[in-house]
Amino acid sequence: MINLKINGKEIQAESGKTVLQVAKEHDIHIPTLCYHKDLNPTGNCRMCIVEVKGGRFLQAACVTPVWEGMEIETSSEKVMKDRKLTLELMLANHPVDCLICDVSGECELQDLAYEYQAKVPDWGAKGTRYPVDSDPNPFIRVDMNKCILCRRCELACAEIQGRDVWGVAKRGFEEVIVAGAGVPLLEARCESCGQCVAYCPTGALSNKMNYGMGRAHQVKKVTTTCSYCGVGCQFDLLVKNNKVIGVSSNPDAPVNGMALCVKGRYGYDFIHHPDRLTKPKVRRYLLEGKKKSDIRNSIVDSQKSKVELSNFGSPWDWVETEWDKALDIIADKLTDTRTNFGADTMGFLTSAKCLNEENYLMNKLARQVIGTNNIDHCARL
Amino acid sequence: MTNKKIIYRPISPEIEELAREHGNEPEAALELLKEIQTHHSVLTPTSITDAARALKLPPHQLYGMATFYSMLSLEERKKVLRVCDGPVCWLKRANGQSPVNSDQLVSEWQNKIGGEFSVERTSCLGLCDRAPAVLVEDEQAGPVEANEANKVCEGWRGVQTDFSEVRKGEVRVMTSLIGKIDPDSIEDALANGVYDGLKKALQTDPGTVLSEVESSGLQGRGGAGFPVGRKWRFVASEKRTPRYIICNADESEPLIFKDRVLIDTNPHQLIEGMTIAGYACGASEAWIYIRGEYEYQARRLEKAIEQAKAKHLLGENISGTDFSFNIHVHRGAGAYICGEETALIESLEGKRGEPRLRPPYPPTYGFRGQPTTVNNVESFCAVPHILKNGAEWWKSLSTYATPGTKMYMVLGHVKNPGLFEAPFGLTLRQIIEEFGGGMADDSAFKFALCGGAAGTIVDESLLDVPIDFSSGQKGISLGAGSFLICDQSVSPVTMLRELLHFFAIESCGKCTPCRVGTWRSLETLKHLAAGKGQKGDLDELKTLAELMQDSSFCGLGQSVAIPMKSALTHFGAEFTKAENNVQR
Repeated sequence: MINLKINGKEIQAESGKTVLQVAKEHDIHIPTLCYHKDLNPTGNCRMCIVEVKGGRFLQAACVTPVWEGMEIETSSEKVMKDRKLTLELMLANHPVDCLICDVSGECELQDLAYEYQAKVPDWGAKGTRYPVDSDPNPFIRVDMNKCILCRRCELACAEIQGRDVWGVAKRGFEEVIVAGAGVPLLEARCESCGQCVAYCPTGALSNKMNYGMGRAHQVKKVTTTCSYCGVGCQFDLLVKNNKVIGVSSNPDAPVNGMALCVKGRYGYDFIHHPDRLTKPKVRRYLLEGKKKSDIRNSIVDSQKSKVELSNFGSPWDWVETEWDKALDIIADKLTDTRTNFGADTMGFLTSAKCLNEENYLMNKLARQVIGTNNIDHCARL
Repeated sequence: MTNKKIIYRPISPEIEELAREHGNEPEAALELLKEIQTHHSVLTPTSITDAARALKLPPHQLYGMATFYSMLSLEERKKVLRVCDGPVCWLKRANGQSPVNSDQLVSEWQNKIGGEFSVERTSCLGLCDRAPAVLVEDEQAGPVEANEANKVCEGWRGVQTDFSEVRKGEVRVMTSLIGKIDPDSIEDALANGVYDGLKKALQTDPGTVLSEVESSGLQGRGGAGFPVGRKWRFVASEKRTPRYIICNADESEPLIFKDRVLIDTNPHQLIEGMTIAGYACGASEAWIYIRGEYEYQARRLEKAIEQAKAKHLLGENISGTDFSFNIHVHRGAGAYICGEETALIESLEGKRGEPRLRPPYPPTYGFRGQPTTVNNVESFCAVPHILKNGAEWWKSLSTYATPGTKMYMVLGHVKNPGLFEAPFGLTLRQIIEEFGGGMADDSAFKFALCGGAAGTIVDESLLDVPIDFSSGQKGISLGAGSFLICDQSVSPVTMLRELLHFFAIESCGKCTPCRVGTWRSLETLKHLAAGKGQKGDLDELKTLAELMQDSSFCGLGQSVAIPMKSALTHFGAEFTKAENNVQR
């Protein structure tokens, strides 16, 4: 343990920690922008600068380790002035369209501008430097005009997803974030997981599917577990007017943290899809208690019945019914098959969309009730 | 979602072959890109992606490099003619009249010789002694006046500067053999005592060598003045091996060309110094990171290394001892920031030359994560002399507190501009009057830019302050030892604009204050210099300078403030006039 002072307060801290970590442990607020707890700190944005006694320059708290006898001021006049100015330099290259921006309300740049009462300088770069919505990716909306070059997207892609799609090109004021060798995302090995969107502090990277459909304060966040596979990722469904309009990462998710795959983050459109089945459906002939062979024969036998059939619909039609009825039919068929052909003529395949408990029950059904070992799971394929 | 546009495409066999020649090493990324560009005169997203696949690197990393280094291009070019935009060349072209804008000159030349060449602007080429200078492909040329474009196309390369004449008051140590030996002949070098220091060092143990360098008080000559011996001690005391020696020959600071002259006149001196460093630090491998514009010097070094190997002064078991040492030459590709030691290491590792977080410092975590010392060419060149003649002798060279001699460059409006070697503690007046021969054409001194582009702009009030590495606190910096003297015809406002133009182009873009701060300062200075200043411009410049100095990530951003603040201090009145649009 080492001793240091933050804003005059005596503090003991573990050596090897950064100023930011120690400050956080003691509820001392230091603003950050390029820093994110999941990513390696880079010290790019210079928002977390603090004054260290005896130092010639201000230090970035996110990357400066603490040392014995260190004396830190986190909000001296100089620090506050420089932070505000740095913010203004960022805002100078950021379109002032918070009024219509999708991420307004959850934008970290906006929050900091509010905290420091920083405005866009009147010399701010006029006009649009890059095309808006510049990438054809169906899920990720790219607007580099709003980018403040914090490089979180680059780190999220490399460190969390391991895809290394995003990178930095050019230098100085011209610097810009690019995918691969300056190509569209999908050509740069992007798998559309949207990690970059989740970590982007501004509206530079946002979700295309729900663009313009609702902002942070207009939606209710409902934490849920992903229904796609057995990993059990958690995330928040964004619900507006009782409709799911999107998914956002929940930083407290125990299994996955902020990370999600393309299915979890963007595969939610089935929820309100008109084609979605909400009740079981069975073939008409089964509902009528007929056998498949009967129907085949009757069609071959009399061509005239075609007219008759079309009046009442085809025997092959899917007809909506109740769960009890559907399950009865399945049970009958299973019993029938086992009796006539033997248990091993059947196989059971379960789904990653089911719970572990449900998968277990399916296993019981196959082995104990039906009496076959022919059971498998889609996650094994 | 399947994308029909994405189909598997094998890596082009040519690029695969080139990558194989480099051992498919990620560190060879920069060389590979340069070679692809040489073969195709352009880099395309496809060739960059292929190169990345061959080296098993993410394509964005190579694309980032291709757009970072100014000598790489995504636009097809013919033979490239680079017009130096450094302060000295700018001043020379101005020639007393209204300064010629480099963009104007580039387009004028492009029209004139566009058939053969692609003309482009470049930051200082390190040919200030031959200003105004150009680089024709990789051949240095100068002086080339604005109307001499055609002569250059025909193969004329200007005049080489002769540095053999000793100025009055000079103390030549590192430059003592200029003009006396053929730099490409190791026999000449050996006959004149080069490698004697190494031989003497090898007779003692590394600890003694280290102590000798430490007690000589040799300070790093790159500009910061960090004690060389202490840096080596850090590396030597690290338990991890291998340890590496790196020579910083990325002399991209405008106004500085001493390293080029040292390499050009006596390459073996540098090799000897590096080998001694390797012996002292327990390293067996070294790199010379030389800027891409110094192709001629890089070849000279490679030749010298071969000669030294043949004489067993380099390579395995040097002079029959069990000490082995190898030196590689690595060419940069045009980026000022790569002179910053951690950016240099990043670049050497085949990445964008962006500075690293410090700590850890290179002596603990340097090249390939191993203990590394990065020293300037001049620092290495001083070492053999210290070993040969002893630390006491080195100290006795200077009557001033800082021991030893230093290379100086005096440029601009003096009668006798050029390069000289002298002890520390010179005053600006001495530099102008004694070494520079006084002001040219009896003009009157107005200001001097001291140290380099990131140096101080001073007026006559500081003419008599002795200069060394610590005199920056008194307002006049030594930096890498260059002094640009300007007479009354030059406005400090336009000079500062030129400097900021350089910094804005060379800022790596990593941190916000430097990325936007340099750009905005340049915009303001352009307005001021063009007589379109506005109320508040000066305050803004001051605030931006403060911000960049306090909050920037690395030394580049921090030092942009030095010329800005010093110019505003000494020439506040001129800036105020510009702000109020008073015609000069």
